[in-house]
Amino acid sequence: MHRTPIDRLLAALFGRSQRSQRAPIARAHRFGHDHDESTESEAADDVLAQFREQAQALHEEVVHDHGVFVVEFLGATGSGKTTLVERLIERAPNDEQIGVVVGDVAGDDDASRFRDHGVSVANVTTGKECHLDPGLLEGALSEFDLDELDRLYVENVGNMVCPADFPLGAQARVLVVSTTEGDDVVRKHPLLFEACDAAVVNKVDIADAVGADLDRMAADVQDVVPDMDVFRTNARADEGVDDLASFLANLRTGDHHHHGHGNHDHAHDDHVGTHDHHD
Amino acid sequence: MHELSLAEALLDRAAEVAAEHDAETVDALTVELGAATHVNPDQLRFCLETVATATVAADATVDIETVTPRAACDCGWEGEPPSFEGTAAVVPTARCPECGDRTEFVRGKECHLTAVSVPDDAESTTAENDSDSTSTENDTEATTTE
Repeated sequence: MHRTPIDRLLAALFGRSQRSQRAPIARAHRFGHDHDESTESEAADDVLAQFREQAQALHEEVVHDHGVFVVEFLGATGSGKTTLVERLIERAPNDEQIGVVVGDVAGDDDASRFRDHGVSVANVTTGKECHLDPGLLEGALSEFDLDELDRLYVENVGNMVCPADFPLGAQARVLVVSTTEGDDVVRKHPLLFEACDAAVVNKVDIADAVGADLDRMAADVQDVVPDMDVFRTNARADEGVDDLASFLANLRTGDHHHHGHGNHDHAHDDHVGTHDHHD
Repeated sequence: MHELSLAEALLDRAAEVAAEHDAETVDALTVELGAATHVNPDQLRFCLETVATATVAADATVDIETVTPRAACDCGWEGEPPSFEGTAAVVPTARCPECGDRTEFVRGKECHLTAVSVPDDAESTTAENDSDSTSTENDTEATTTE
């Protein structure tokens, strides 16, 4: 039995290790081990699978029943997620109804920026949680009329770790990193890249100033996720965003064939090959 | 840091199982934790043991078993994916060692409550009525890991 210092501390404090005082014979309830079959009871016993199933159900409802195109943006605080989504909103045709769900630990700053763009906004302050989960997103969606909505952007809490384990049912998860995070940021977060469908390297205009090697960042993405598209942007100056917008538009056109990592029922990407979008 | 909410969910499920078996306490919990998640096993153990103090599992031993990742590729390859080098914990790659394409994990994403042991003196009338995917058995296997 693995014992950590905490075990020993708790044992000293509470006498937790006194197993001999318990009945020597006990009954065990052992769950099914058939991993090839995603049974209902297995999902009930696997708490991460429960979240994935919730995301799948949300995808069915929002994407298939209501025809909304859902894109999730993830990345560290300050990577430029909000600015990037603002640039995408500015490109939308006038008749497109856009909703934005903004996840933050606290505050209304991002939400008010989006409201200034005239889109519907639901602000989710998680209080303590470091990521949005499907339940929080579902709650936020009650603030929209899904039948009216064409496109939904979900901006996750600024975090490079936890969101990897919590898909939200989007057609695409777009991971935004920036040059100021250091050009080794990709290699530091492989599991999050593996959980996403496209990558943006933002703040390329100051790459030289902060000593970031853009080619290395793009190569690292290809190393971690072989077929992932990488978009180089300067979101503040609206540079490089067209390629990302086209990528999303293409994804939407083919959205009955493409199911990204936002939706756990993943079919392989239908865009072919390796693309690094930069001028 | 979502180990706390995962621990709460696992203990809720363990309490349900204990209730199904008319047990007032839980002796042991076994959790299978996939290596392709961001859940830290030591933190999960600490959270389970800490949250458990206010539950029927207060005195339960916690066994966390690491699930080795397994990945599959469209090219037909399936197996244990290579890991990134120089990381503190095992971080599996999503690149097919055969063809270089992106793979999907078929195992390694679990946070799965696989066994709950309850004292033998509890009523066992419900044990036989479990669904097909669950079963009861003698506790020996679950306690020999100590």
